[in-house]
Amino acid sequence: MTSLAVARNRLPIGRLLLVVLFIALVVAGFASGALPADRWEPFLLVSTWTFLFEGLVVTLLIGAISLVASLLIGIPLGIARSALKGPPSWIVRGWVELVRATPILAILIIIFLGLSRLGLDLTAIQAAIVGLTLYNSAVLAEVVRAGIRSISQGEVEAARSLGLGFGLTMRLVVLPQALSRMAPAIVSQLITLIKDTSLLFILGGQELVGYGRSFFNFYGNLLETYIVIAVIFFAICYPLSRAARRLEAKQPADERIVVTGEADQIATATSIR
Amino acid sequence: MDFLSQPLLEHSALFWEGYRNTVLLTVGALLGASVIGVIGASLRVWGGPALSSLAVAYVEFFRNTPLLVQLSFFAVLLAPANLGITGDPIVVGLIGLSIYTGAYVTEVVRSGILSVDPRQIESARSLGLSQVQSLRLVVLPQAIRTVIPPLGNLAIALVKNTAIVSAIAATEMLKVAGIIETRTASFDGYLAVLVGYWSLTIPLAFLVDLSERRLGFAR
Repeated sequence: MTSLAVARNRLPIGRLLLVVLFIALVVAGFASGALPADRWEPFLLVSTWTFLFEGLVVTLLIGAISLVASLLIGIPLGIARSALKGPPSWIVRGWVELVRATPILAILIIIFLGLSRLGLDLTAIQAAIVGLTLYNSAVLAEVVRAGIRSISQGEVEAARSLGLGFGLTMRLVVLPQALSRMAPAIVSQLITLIKDTSLLFILGGQELVGYGRSFFNFYGNLLETYIVIAVIFFAICYPLSRAARRLEAKQPADERIVVTGEADQIATATSIR
Repeated sequence: MDFLSQPLLEHSALFWEGYRNTVLLTVGALLGASVIGVIGASLRVWGGPALSSLAVAYVEFFRNTPLLVQLSFFAVLLAPANLGITGDPIVVGLIGLSIYTGAYVTEVVRSGILSVDPRQIESARSLGLSQVQSLRLVVLPQAIRTVIPPLGNLAIALVKNTAIVSAIAATEMLKVAGIIETRTASFDGYLAVLVGYWSLTIPLAFLVDLSERRLGFAR
């Protein structure tokens, strides 16, 4: 009771100070000339927002398609990773480990340039979807493997001895339980995925950052546009990170799943205490 | 060295420059992020309402926006035409990566500090240790054990994120592969770069696994 009351009293003071500080920063920015007011004027136009919204739709579509495709590939890959034995399992493991050890930007560029060398011409957006799916399906495969491993072997044996086959045991016993443990890691990975869609801009594709680029080429307000784009990304990713944290808070500490080398999963796992 | 193609052999000096810069960006930004992370976590835990809210705002904003946008922003902001601090893309990369990764390190260090039960400090104090002694001898050894595996994880993510600094024209590994491709029309630079990144991320992943097994202990 006391701790709740303290928390309730403490937070608004902090937030209030933060708002005051923010306003002071903005006023200081305008007063010193570092943030000329006329450079912000284009953001008062409706056309600006409809234009940036088009870019946002592209970003979200790429994120959504890549997420669904990554799940469709990552879940079977993860099951294969945990169920296969011998050489086939080494191949799956080698693939998953190598893909995860590679920077996503290197993957995107190699797919974009490499496939066109092999005679398969993809647009930048198609290459981005393929690359993001390739990378995130490997990460999700690892999440799935960790989720399956976290289910006690006794449950699997019980299901098998009741006559359920491998497929039914997975579908009815293991995966439903594993899914709730995997949920925070999957949502965290979605944050990484959405932030990584911005890399499509480097391939020359038009998503939110690319739309921003054409916008400030017209108005000459580079820094201001970057701030606005960052705020739009924040508006999407922050609710997701809150959701990931809420899901993680429901999990007992020893059931947390974090895939090696994935910063947003670590951030979710360490934010619970 | 017969297995290396002609374009790679001709550009080996350039490739190693890129490799060195990738390592430099990783190590430098890891140090920068650690300093930021320790300060951020201290503000978060002991900073009072205003400063801890500030630390929260920093963490949430920088971890929920793309690194590419942050780097592009800093490249323009720090350029001679604006603040005039630096036009060197490697320095901009170091600053940008430090600030981005610092947000994650703040959360990790904070969880490390909070992982130690405050009653342990009370016990240490009542056994006659001073406040500094009890922090140094009781809290720190346990907090470091908690923090090392996630920090190693962030280091792996950092190696991979250095590739994005190529977008602001820093000559790190991925940029070098692009240069080799432009000059010789050979794709081999990209294949060499893959091996280059793996030579950093795979040993790091191995160390993280090892540290998780060695340092994991029941509390």
